[in-house]
Amino acid sequence: MTTHENTAAHADHGEHAHPNYIKVWGILVVLLVVSVCGPMLGIQAVTIITAFGIAVVKAYLVAKNFMHLNIERRFVVYLLLTMLAFMLLLFGGVAPDVMRHSGRNWENIAAKAEIERALAKASGVAEKKPAEPATPQASSAADNYKSVCAMCHGEKGEGNGVAALSMTPKPANFADPAFWQTRDKAHVEKVIREGGPAVGKSPLMAPFGARFNAQEISALADYLMTFKK
Amino acid sequence: MQKPIATTRSMAGLPTGRLAVWWVIASEIVIFGGLLVSYIMHRLGHPEWGGYASHTNTWAGAFNTLVLLSSSLSAVLAHQAAERGDGKKAALLLRLTCLGGATFLGVKALEWSHEIRQGFVLSTNGFWSFYYTAAGLHALHVIAGMIIMLIVSRDASKGRELQRVELIGIYWHFVDIVWIFLFPLLYIAK
Ligand code: HEC
Repeated sequence: MTTHENTAAHADHGEHAHPNYIKVWGILVVLLVVSVCGPMLGIQAVTIITAFGIAVVKAYLVAKNFMHLNIERRFVVYLLLTMLAFMLLLFGGVAPDVMRHSGRNWENIAAKAEIERALAKASGVAEKKPAEPATPQASSAADNYKSVCAMCHGEKGEGNGVAALSMTPKPANFADPAFWQTRDKAHVEKVIREGGPAVGKSPLMAPFGARFNAQEISALADYLMTFKK
Repeated sequence: MQKPIATTRSMAGLPTGRLAVWWVIASEIVIFGGLLVSYIMHRLGHPEWGGYASHTNTWAGAFNTLVLLSSSLSAVLAHQAAERGDGKKAALLLRLTCLGGATFLGVKALEWSHEIRQGFVLSTNGFWSFYYTAAGLHALHVIAGMIIMLIVSRDASKGRELQRVELIGIYWHFVDIVWIFLFPLLYIAK
């Protein structure tokens, strides 16, 4: 039984000549080294070629020499290529919506806010340096407000920042004296730290407890009061 | 033990078992492909993700790439040995391949615990969600491959079912190829 099967399996590949596997492996390792060293030059085009171009070459070498796709039935190759083509189709169909954050009648506010927040943070701390996620920042409350909150709450705290245009509910208006009648500093600190939902407000007001430490939050709360008219 | 007839047939011009493996891989391409393609489009739409990626450890990733490439070598050498009828050697080489898989997982475990201790978890942001999902799904495939390989190697060491050595090898190479793409996507592009 077993011998019969083995011969059947072999008849199929016809006892193919084996490539020099160790040599193939050697080439793969050299390519790996190149792909790791590529980015050290610091040129983006080079990085893309050495990282992704080489990945394609490595995948090709493995598929051809280790998986023996070069001597496999052609339809298997076509089957796999069809699947890859589906992936291109998926990318072509969906990527435009995911990669752009606004279009004729829509705007991805969350994505824009995330980018803005992250970029502001990155310009605050030295890049590359392996920083803690909640890096304490030395910048002043006014700077923090401008780079993080103003987008929604507006430069003057009137709740009319650029991102607020299509927002419901509207961001709080700190210039409105009525706002301050019902809220004390502890409340405001809690909102900044834990987000809108923590005080029964909208989740559009995100929590910033991971972003700012207690001192910074306190300073921000004081700063907000300066908007009061 | 009696085998199903389909097992011993080769209707499509190649042994049924091998056809089945290709079929599995075809669907795996869509699983991993869908995940990676979504990652790529988000990555391109989020300039800040490059900063997040700078926290992944390129050296750990590179070492693991080397480990997987080498384990692919031993898998294909096992296939060669099996084709020559040397079940003992094939079994040995398959177990060596498993050792590669275990090393890979060990490095992964160290990496992940370090990152989690730094506060980067599945829910930190989009980048880390993709990072843990893609690498985690891949690690599950490594584990599955190792289990199958241990079973195949037990038979092979007794000279039985030697054709399966090639089949598990094909799967393993595929898992290797997935990592070949995960490595630049998650580690090199910063
Ligand atoms: C993505 C837009 C957005 C950003 C950025 C944002 N907020 Fe808000 N904020 C809101 C919205 C919307 C509300 C109103 C929530 C409601 O009324 O349900 C709000 C409400 C508030 C409130 C009032 C909560 C209450 O009791 O009514 C405070 C205080 C506040 N934000 C402070 C801040 C501070 C400080 C920052 C910067 C660190 C900030 N916000 C950044 C959208 C934002």
